[in-house]
Amino acid sequence: MENRFLRRTGLLLMSVLVSACQAPVHKEQPAGQAARAADAEPFSSWPCMSYTEACGKIPTRAPVKKELAGPLNGNPARGKAIVQDRSKGNCLACHVMKDGVQPGSRGPDLGKYGTWQRSDAETYALVYDMRSRNRDALMPPFGTNDILGDQEIRDVVAYLQSSR
Amino acid sequence: MCEKKHLYASALAIGALLAFGMGGVMAESFYREYVPRVDIDPAKGVEGDIQFSGTLQYWKDEKALEKHKGWIGDHANEWKLNRKFMDLDRIPFHEGHLALEEGEALVKSLGKEEPGFKTCLGEGKSELKGAATKYPKYDDKLGRIMTIESRVEYCAKATLRREMKQGSPTNNAITMYVKAQSTGLPLQVDIQSKPVMEAYRRGENLFYMRVGQLNNACASCHTPQGIMGHKLRGEVPTSPFGDAAAFPAYRFPLAQIESLQQRFDICSRQSRIKPLKPGDPAYVDLEVFLTVLSNGYPITVPAAR
Repeated sequence: MENRFLRRTGLLLMSVLVSACQAPVHKEQPAGQAARAADAEPFSSWPCMSYTEACGKIPTRAPVKKELAGPLNGNPARGKAIVQDRSKGNCLACHVMKDGVQPGSRGPDLGKYGTWQRSDAETYALVYDMRSRNRDALMPPFGTNDILGDQEIRDVVAYLQSSR
Repeated sequence: MCEKKHLYASALAIGALLAFGMGGVMAESFYREYVPRVDIDPAKGVEGDIQFSGTLQYWKDEKALEKHKGWIGDHANEWKLNRKFMDLDRIPFHEGHLALEEGEALVKSLGKEEPGFKTCLGEGKSELKGAATKYPKYDDKLGRIMTIESRVEYCAKATLRREMKQGSPTNNAITMYVKAQSTGLPLQVDIQSKPVMEAYRRGENLFYMRVGQLNNACASCHTPQGIMGHKLRGEVPTSPFGDAAAFPAYRFPLAQIESLQQRFDICSRQSRIKPLKPGDPAYVDLEVFLTVLSNGYPITVPAAR
């Protein structure tokens, strides 16, 4: 509300300035970028669309079939938090998950994953990189692309196995 | 290992096919993934959506929108309206209308200061009606594809010696004004133009290219085999057809005007892709691709999203 008010006042002020005294149009930040000055170069270590910048030539990380080393040792409670956190797994974007609100609907319903009788190793490998099974998978390669760390994936797997 | 090799080989093969079929779009010499393509005929313009999302019938005109207005707020169906119920005066007054007035006042006052500004916007003509329907277009004299935003930026510099960077509030307001002079007129990007079609093909390539930490393409969300029509947490991605007709648009979540290329910027950040600056050649190509997918659909500025 305050923002809209400020913007409206700004608009009025600007048109007054321009029409009344022909003040030079002041140098402006592109809309929306002022507030994001802190992340001026975000995500530049990942492939991008540019024809000229270095990120345009960063290769896609190829699919990896990752083996689970040793016993799972995952924490389902931590896994649940990771699954719901938009800056972490955000699995709810596409999947129904146990105890998750406002889930997406593109991916399979994982609400009872624990009854599917999938091994920890298989589950770990698929969260790590779904492209190892289906190369056109929409699902982000959480392990290969460092979205989640090894322990975080173990926690997610433990949470999935506890979902019933 | 065998599987990896297979993938590399198929990526190269696909790349080679693309380069062969697209004349000018070069395949990368490194591993890059693409979302499977949907066959789109650029000559069909917005009608191409009939085979794509199949939703055009619900948003093609006032009558269709009126008939299906009961879907507004209904998550399972609202996406089929492609947000078109938020165009023009179909929803209550929003600040897009104010920005448009601001743009008009700016063109008037700057035109008084330097009449050449307006003539430059109209490429020699002071009448702007219909001009916006042809953008993006190839400019012979400048030797590049121009969007309305880059025309405004260029004319401000050439005639007023002022910076009006693409994506700045001033540029957006003036762009809205120029585009609104064609409100109601169908977009007609010239697909007979060779440079335009080359840009279209490059833009199409970018649309399917997987980028960023999440390995997403535009097409991951905005194609029938992607998330389009499905819930993505609280949202349901819609068809990319027809979108360009509404931009620059007033964006409720940002409480400001956003150009089409700023939309790419913000969408990129949400997908953890390095955003490019408005006017970047890759974004121009994407804008060409998307605007050709709106050919035949009337401009609906001001709109809100």
